[in-house]
Amino acid sequence: MQLELGVVGGAAAFLALAVALYGAVVGSVGAVRRDARLLTSARLAAVAGFVVATVAVVVMEAALLTDDFSVSYVAQHSRIASPVWVKVVTMWAALEGSILLWAWLLSGYTALVAAIAPLSPLRPWALVVMQGVQTFFFFVLAFLANPFTVLPNPPLDGPGPNELLQNHWMMAVHPVLMYLGFVGLTVPFAYALAALITRRPGTEWMTSTRRWTLTGWGFLSAAIVAGGWWSYEVLGWGGYWAWDPVENVSLMPWLTATAFIHSVQVQERRHMLKPWNVMLILLTFALAILGTFLTRSGVVSSVHAFGSGPVGPAFLAFFVLVVLFSFGLLATRWEDVKDRAELDSLVSREGSLLGVNVLFLALTFAVLLGTLFPLIVEAISGDRVTVGPPFFDQVTLPLWLLVLLLMGIGPLLPWRKAEEQSLRRNLAWMLGGLVVAGGLAWLLGVRKVYPMLTVGLAGYNVVSLGLLLSGALVPRMRLAQRPALQVLRSYAHENRRRVGSMIVHFAVVVIAVGVAFSSGYRVDEQVRVDLGDSVAFEGYTLTPTELFVDPTAARVSAGAIVEVRRDDRLVATLRPRINVFGGSSRAIPTPDVLYTPWHDVYLNVNSAITPDTTFVILRVVKSPLVTWIWVGGLILVLGTAYALGGATRRVAARVSVPAAAREAS
Amino acid sequence: MRKKVIYAVLGVAVLAAAGLMIGRALQTSLVYFVMPSEYARDAASFDGRRIRLAGLVEPGSVAFDDAGLELSFNVTDAIQTYPVRYSGAPPDMFQENGGVVIEGRFHDGVFVGDNLLVKHSNDYHPPEDGHVDVEALKESLR
Repeated sequence: MQLELGVVGGAAAFLALAVALYGAVVGSVGAVRRDARLLTSARLAAVAGFVVATVAVVVMEAALLTDDFSVSYVAQHSRIASPVWVKVVTMWAALEGSILLWAWLLSGYTALVAAIAPLSPLRPWALVVMQGVQTFFFFVLAFLANPFTVLPNPPLDGPGPNELLQNHWMMAVHPVLMYLGFVGLTVPFAYALAALITRRPGTEWMTSTRRWTLTGWGFLSAAIVAGGWWSYEVLGWGGYWAWDPVENVSLMPWLTATAFIHSVQVQERRHMLKPWNVMLILLTFALAILGTFLTRSGVVSSVHAFGSGPVGPAFLAFFVLVVLFSFGLLATRWEDVKDRAELDSLVSREGSLLGVNVLFLALTFAVLLGTLFPLIVEAISGDRVTVGPPFFDQVTLPLWLLVLLLMGIGPLLPWRKAEEQSLRRNLAWMLGGLVVAGGLAWLLGVRKVYPMLTVGLAGYNVVSLGLLLSGALVPRMRLAQRPALQVLRSYAHENRRRVGSMIVHFAVVVIAVGVAFSSGYRVDEQVRVDLGDSVAFEGYTLTPTELFVDPTAARVSAGAIVEVRRDDRLVATLRPRINVFGGSSRAIPTPDVLYTPWHDVYLNVNSAITPDTTFVILRVVKSPLVTWIWVGGLILVLGTAYALGGATRRVAARVSVPAAAREAS
Repeated sequence: MRKKVIYAVLGVAVLAAAGLMIGRALQTSLVYFVMPSEYARDAASFDGRRIRLAGLVEPGSVAFDDAGLELSFNVTDAIQTYPVRYSGAPPDMFQENGGVVIEGRFHDGVFVGDNLLVKHSNDYHPPEDGHVDVEALKESLR
């Protein structure tokens, strides 16, 4: 008898649940009784859980790639004619599969922690927490959203995944990055709970998870930027961020995680903000679960809402459980965690880090309020409302600018208390940068307040980064008598964390400028052009010369070939189109973009394309500097990777400047 | 001690400012989702406000001027009907008796929209006898 894939996959899902539950129970018993054999067994269970979950993933992919429609998920979401890459990514194009992906990545991280995290009193409990979270995910997978249900009468073909999702290769990247981010931030969450359980509220739980935290944060950041670019390339309105609930729920954990990354430094250096740090990481995890509830339950609608069902309530219950358990635990451990040190001065490194934390929490609160407000209004008055982008813009823009302001001055302030003289000197330089950059923007014709302020603050931040770097390099150059580039190289090598943070801060400046200009000076028009005729747009001439039809097995593309000229010179030939995927009657407008460093020209077909079409209606969007958002995102990821790289950092950093100088001579 | 008082006052001031800012922003950017008959019942309270008007495209009312890119049609929930103007091409799947949501404002009895969404819901079918269940329709257009 041939073994059916659905049966194997379903068995793997149940087995993974059993293994995770076993690991959590045995691990906690072992940790309470300090029984090394039980703890080893729990660790092995963590690795075994990953192996079993991998089997489930391999089975799912095999079913998708072999078009095995007896597996319910494949029947509901896949299609024979789809290209191979679409079949592979279909695993996370709908609810059940995305839970499988999340659970699998989580089991992978758990196995990794079990395998490589150094032995510590925290590790057993951290593994228990991670296996507990896994238990929830595999429970949902096995009982509430089982993708492996065997269909007795399999269909001959399926409808294929959501058209918007198979329309761009980013589908292969963005969701995976997002889950890697969420899952990565589960590690510090687990260690924080372990610290509370074992009453070890020191810095150990943070320092031992620093890499995990930064990795998770890096993935989450990359996921958000990638999601923005995806929406830009696919959704056809020429924007990248609409304050859609699903975007907001990915932003909130990022905001609290960013606050966390900054405030842990205060605890490391000054042993302050202990309860604050614990709260931030608990909040980060809770917000990730809340976001999944909001987007997966159909409470709010978006492209990510996979419809209602028992999964939404399960996530809500899990969210409530997480909040009650973790914050309840924090309350019972309050006496251990409470801060004893006090802030010496607000004008200090710790003061600025505290300030930026307040800003990030205010941003989180504003985004949460705007996202949940429609639900609150509907619950109270029954009115259906939406909170539009103007709310988020009005509330968050001033806060973002304040973040930029603190980002410039904060890293220049010393710990404890700043000397007035050096502070004044630095501030004078930075204000100079602000005025010069702002003046330059004025000369170039920028008159709007927010883009202007952003450019000014960008100049201020660039000067700040210059001061930071020169403050570090100049003394070393004097001592070592070596050329600047060599000193820079060795400094960057020895201080990866610090240099990485400078790169990330620079990336934030780049992104901020890109956002300010692409939203502040965006031109968005609809034009009607006869084929062969031309239309002028912002210094360009657009000429749709002819129509094209490009059918493949999976879809039919029909669009217009549009020549884009500037000063009578052909700069690009764009092919905006409308895709119709087989198995669906829905037409998906697919834009085409001319990317340039200064601005993008974005074309989307807004009218039907038929053989007797004589004119096209184009939506034309010009967004200045929008490319720099994606470039900034890339720099940010590289900076994070740089901070993470170099395992010998701690040893290298111990080499003092004079020692380095002796070595060089 | 004095330091603590200063921080507390500062904190309260910041919170109050933030609360005011958030309250004002919410007030100006709340967009109500209403059906034509709901609007008719309470037109004064929506006066000049941005709203999302939802309903069905009245058959025979659609006119599209492709030279000027002006789309006009009537939106109805079988009880009340309003004329709509929208600058731009009709989106894909825009059809008579189809569900639409238009975002914009009323100007002299005409709803001027700047965002037009087509809702192709499987849950709702306009009945033939002309009787429309407004609540069910509203639910299907969400």
